[in-house]
Amino acid sequence: MKRKIDPIEVAVLQRRLKSITGEMGLTLLRTTRSPILNEARDFVTGLYDARGRMLEQTEYIPVLAFALQPACENVIRFFGDDIHPGDVILHNDVFSGGNQNNDVAVFKPIFDGKTLVAWAACKGHQADIGGAVQGGYNPEAREVWQEALRIPAVKVYERGRLRRDVWNLIFANIRLGIVEEDIKAQIGGATVGERGFQALLKRFGRRRLDQLLDALFDSTERRVRHEIAAIPDGIYRGESHAFYDGVTDGTKMKINLAVTVKGEAITFDFSGSAPQTAGFVNAPYSATASALLLTFLMLIDPDIPHNAGILRPIRIVNPEGSFLNARFPAATTFGNSITGPTSDAIFRAFAEALPRMVTAGWNRFLGFAVSGNDPRHRRPYVDILFLSLKGGSGGTWSADGYDHIGLINCAGGILAQDYEMFEIHDPHFLLKHEYLQDSAGAGRWRGGVGVETEFEIRGENVTGVAFGDGVEEEARAFGLFGGKPGSRNEIRLDYPDGTARFAKTKEIVRGIPRGTRFSQTAGGGGGYGDPFERPPGEVLADVKNELVSVAAARKDYGVWIDPQSFALDAGKTAALRGAKT
Amino acid sequence: MRYRVGVDVGGTFTDFLLMDAGGRTAVHKELSSPADPSEAVLRGLTELARGEASNLEAFLARVSIIVHGTTVTTNAVLTGKTARTGLLTTRGFRDALQMRRGIREEMYDNRYHPPEPIVPRWLRLPVTERVAADGALVTPLDAAGVERAAQRFLGEDIEAVAVCFLHAHANAKNERAAARIVRRLMPHAYLSVSSEVIPQVRYYERTSTTVLNAAVGPILARYLGNLTAKLAAARYRGALLIMQSNGGVAVPAAVSRLAATTLLSGPAAAPAAGLACMTLYHDKSFVTMDMGGTSFDTALVRDGEPAVSASASVNRYALALPSMEINTIGAGGGSIAWIDQGGLLRMGPASAGADPGPACYARGGIEPTCTDANLVLGYLSTEYFAGGRIRLDTGAAQRAITGRIAKPLGLSLEQAAHGMVQVINVNMAAAIREISVQKGYDPREFPLVCAGGAGPLHAAGIAAELGIARIVVPRDSSIFCAAGMLRTDLRHDYVRSCAQTLGGSAAGSGRVRRLVREMLAEARRALAGEGIPRARQRMRFQLDLRYTGQYHEVTVDVSAQSLAAVNWKAVRERFHAQHDRLYGYALRAEGTAVELLNARLSASGVTHKPALPREPRRGRGCARALKGKRPAYLSERKDYREIPVFDGDRLGHGNRLQGPAIIESANTSILVPVSWRAEYDVLGNCVLSAPAVRKRRSA
Repeated sequence: MKRKIDPIEVAVLQRRLKSITGEMGLTLLRTTRSPILNEARDFVTGLYDARGRMLEQTEYIPVLAFALQPACENVIRFFGDDIHPGDVILHNDVFSGGNQNNDVAVFKPIFDGKTLVAWAACKGHQADIGGAVQGGYNPEAREVWQEALRIPAVKVYERGRLRRDVWNLIFANIRLGIVEEDIKAQIGGATVGERGFQALLKRFGRRRLDQLLDALFDSTERRVRHEIAAIPDGIYRGESHAFYDGVTDGTKMKINLAVTVKGEAITFDFSGSAPQTAGFVNAPYSATASALLLTFLMLIDPDIPHNAGILRPIRIVNPEGSFLNARFPAATTFGNSITGPTSDAIFRAFAEALPRMVTAGWNRFLGFAVSGNDPRHRRPYVDILFLSLKGGSGGTWSADGYDHIGLINCAGGILAQDYEMFEIHDPHFLLKHEYLQDSAGAGRWRGGVGVETEFEIRGENVTGVAFGDGVEEEARAFGLFGGKPGSRNEIRLDYPDGTARFAKTKEIVRGIPRGTRFSQTAGGGGGYGDPFERPPGEVLADVKNELVSVAAARKDYGVWIDPQSFALDAGKTAALRGAKT
Repeated sequence: MRYRVGVDVGGTFTDFLLMDAGGRTAVHKELSSPADPSEAVLRGLTELARGEASNLEAFLARVSIIVHGTTVTTNAVLTGKTARTGLLTTRGFRDALQMRRGIREEMYDNRYHPPEPIVPRWLRLPVTERVAADGALVTPLDAAGVERAAQRFLGEDIEAVAVCFLHAHANAKNERAAARIVRRLMPHAYLSVSSEVIPQVRYYERTSTTVLNAAVGPILARYLGNLTAKLAAARYRGALLIMQSNGGVAVPAAVSRLAATTLLSGPAAAPAAGLACMTLYHDKSFVTMDMGGTSFDTALVRDGEPAVSASASVNRYALALPSMEINTIGAGGGSIAWIDQGGLLRMGPASAGADPGPACYARGGIEPTCTDANLVLGYLSTEYFAGGRIRLDTGAAQRAITGRIAKPLGLSLEQAAHGMVQVINVNMAAAIREISVQKGYDPREFPLVCAGGAGPLHAAGIAAELGIARIVVPRDSSIFCAAGMLRTDLRHDYVRSCAQTLGGSAAGSGRVRRLVREMLAEARRALAGEGIPRARQRMRFQLDLRYTGQYHEVTVDVSAQSLAAVNWKAVRERFHAQHDRLYGYALRAEGTAVELLNARLSASGVTHKPALPREPRRGRGCARALKGKRPAYLSERKDYREIPVFDGDRLGHGNRLQGPAIIESANTSILVPVSWRAEYDVLGNCVLSAPAVRKRRSA
């Protein structure tokens, strides 16, 4: 007989699942070696049911919101009934459910006696994954094998025994020893998840647990449907572009999105988007789905739990062959980085229907992954320089954008390195890391402020891989409802011999000599609403704090501030503002 | 006869607990005096003296220890009323404080605001200087630049200066030089120097902690100066101890130097108080809640151990000092009701505090507060609030609620008042959920130890919200933390960064031994200065360890012996074991090197804790304590009913009564809802149980 479902019990179960995935995440944060994992938090932990449906997950950065479920389903399909207690399975392959080559997942099955009941899984961005270029970002790649070692579902432990041969095969093809340690840390995280889930099984019993989980899925689905129902029915279109395919200068790839809202269901249709590119500016299906989901989650109640119920009312149409769902064997490492353009299209599509929920454009990030030798310890090092790439987010109704938040893929979940830890770990000597004046797009609610970074490279044999966007005028974070765009991104290298160069947005810069000065600006977010409606007192505060210059206050905001005394001139301000209308 | 006194200054009330050598206690509550909180302290001590048929001087001559908790620093940060603070940073890095490493705690909420920076950008002044990661001096301090900055601070009436330079944890030379200049030019400013406050690697955390320390330093120094002067004038010669966030106490001179150690101290004595009143029961795990006039604090105690974390945050700024894990929200008797943009009723976090206080205090308050709602609903007596010392004005409460809430929302007076109570109960339940459910514990498995003057009126409502079936209201619940303070030890925490491979070199090991000896000497000096002999000093050593290449550390307890003998093998083994327990694996077999980042010392001075007195058993009957009846709003009936009111001071061990009822004592009122039961135990705790539990137990 089916017992009555106690909503409090469901809520407690949901919070417990959340705390288990949180503990798994803590394990990764605390034990991994690569700063991409423990400082930038580029990983996700989750629990899945026997069929691979998401029970709960904690994505430390939103772009991994949909990164594990398709891979889990693939693992289950592939191994069928050949899954046993003590197995540990690795997976990264983007053509069988993976989202990015560097993101390697560890799956651990959880059994109740002899019955498979659930999976604990951790997926993290590895510091290296083989392929032609250390770090995995290879703008010169034209197919997947030039990017990475492909790992389709592979058992590294079988019934609790390490398969040393398989293990060695994998790590013989990966450059950095820390990757092996980080995979061990991920296995540790999955073990923590398994222990937590076993405690739940003991507490509730399997049948009761199943009932509660069903109730949880249903309640989540109801909440999402309720949110969708609140959006007026209709077809909403949004468009945006990604810039430079890494092969041909001046290229521009269009994202074409039609959102159909009908009652409690929603369809996202990417048909008509640009075809896949020759280079690595392509997304696997999972990466585009993640980008879509994370943006959608920003438009609804942030308290809704993250489980399979959230996906039920959503349909995605993303035909194969476009740069948002590239065909085998395309190079795709840039795929996660197309999240910026994808979310731009989504915000633009919803601007009419949900004007108070959408934001103006976020800074499109530009990253620079460096690798080389650290002469202090005579060992290799690699770093993605998260501290220098975090620009501002877009303003929204009733709130300025967030300063120095970084790419929308991560939405403030990614941390800039602490300066002291940065210098202890990398052979870099920091000169500057501060907010960048006049970087934020002006608006009634301005964009978030960007940052400027300078340091001297003291590593040897240093190679930098630029990957990102936002350098062109047109690629700046867009303004909304009268708001102005944010500032551009830029990376500049000043060599010791006095020459200088700018990095392209997709490029390998080889042979950077020791003593080179690295300078980067990460732009601000777009403004929301007419800047002439921003209260002059708020503009004055930004000027006093040197976030907005006196000149920009006049030109962009119509606010007259005396450059010496920082006094606001109400009369001149009224005149400036009056002149516009 | 020697007395010990616990004094807990809250936003609204200042609580006093007097205990004599035999364990007999007396309780007093005084309205706080926010402008100078020491005034209320002295007034309260005078009242305590009167209660002991003495005058203040004669009474104080017999007091051996005053343990004092204060929220002056916490309130200053939460309300943005910190000292005017300036920050000197290394040139090029003046935004670390405000950036908070670029985190947005709510990733999907695009309206989530960052907190206001404690020091605005225009008062964060960069100076030219630089130390490298290995401690090498790269650029000597630009002394003239520091002088210019100090002049600028003087021009801006800066009261406190924080100095935090890059890598000062490894070499503090430039920082010290800058501090000397600032001290010379600004002799009256409170100076907070990162290498003294927390010589620990990580620039943002050190900056934030140093700035918090500066921002509250002058406030605490001013306050303690006032207090000690007043006590000295009354010829007090006993010890004065100040409560700290780590759950221990220290002398005023020590906390004045490190004012930030008091930032989370307000509720830090609650777990100790909870443990004392739960000694009777098998549950060594419970939730404490303390609802005062301004704030609501809650903590989880598991297996008799309150949770302490190595770092915490205040108003979303990092505070890298060991602190009790306590969740605090703005909810209390003084919480103001308001209507938000969406037309929803909200409660707090703004509070009417002690001055002007709730509308019903009739001291000029016009905002409707939680206390006003409780009065309108009949839960509080107009005559008997704070033992009858504050007469409550029902008319004023009705006018405030009607005008600001009931009319705009189109509700009746009692509907509005009842809504206010419900909303604040849900807020408080959510705060408890954060420390229980969200950490994977079901609150229904824990009893709720309920304290604070306003707490016992709300406890049953909160418990119902969470499914908690048992509530323990301690006899001295209204002064819960003051009671806990008399049961805490002296405690000082020390840390030194000493990054190296553990056992990698003799020089490295020598450095660790030297730094540990340095901390130990400092700790022994501090405790000796507080009158604690060696026999009562307890030293707990810890090392922050990690595998080579990891970014985060595991804090491992190590024995003094293994440190003295440099027995790194034993230390490594403990680390492997702890790493495995926490994170599911260890790298013992692989022989991975273990790195040391920080050495820590937690030094305690054990104090004497008298046993709690036990009450003789009385019969069950409560008739002699029945004061009368009055109409009170019952949410089950959605209307007022006449319900019995008992005098809590005449109830004791063995008494049992059935809800609905109100139990009034001098400083608190307990609401026993319909079909709940109240029963007094041998320590005088009032234990409330929900109907369901009793059924389950008898079945």
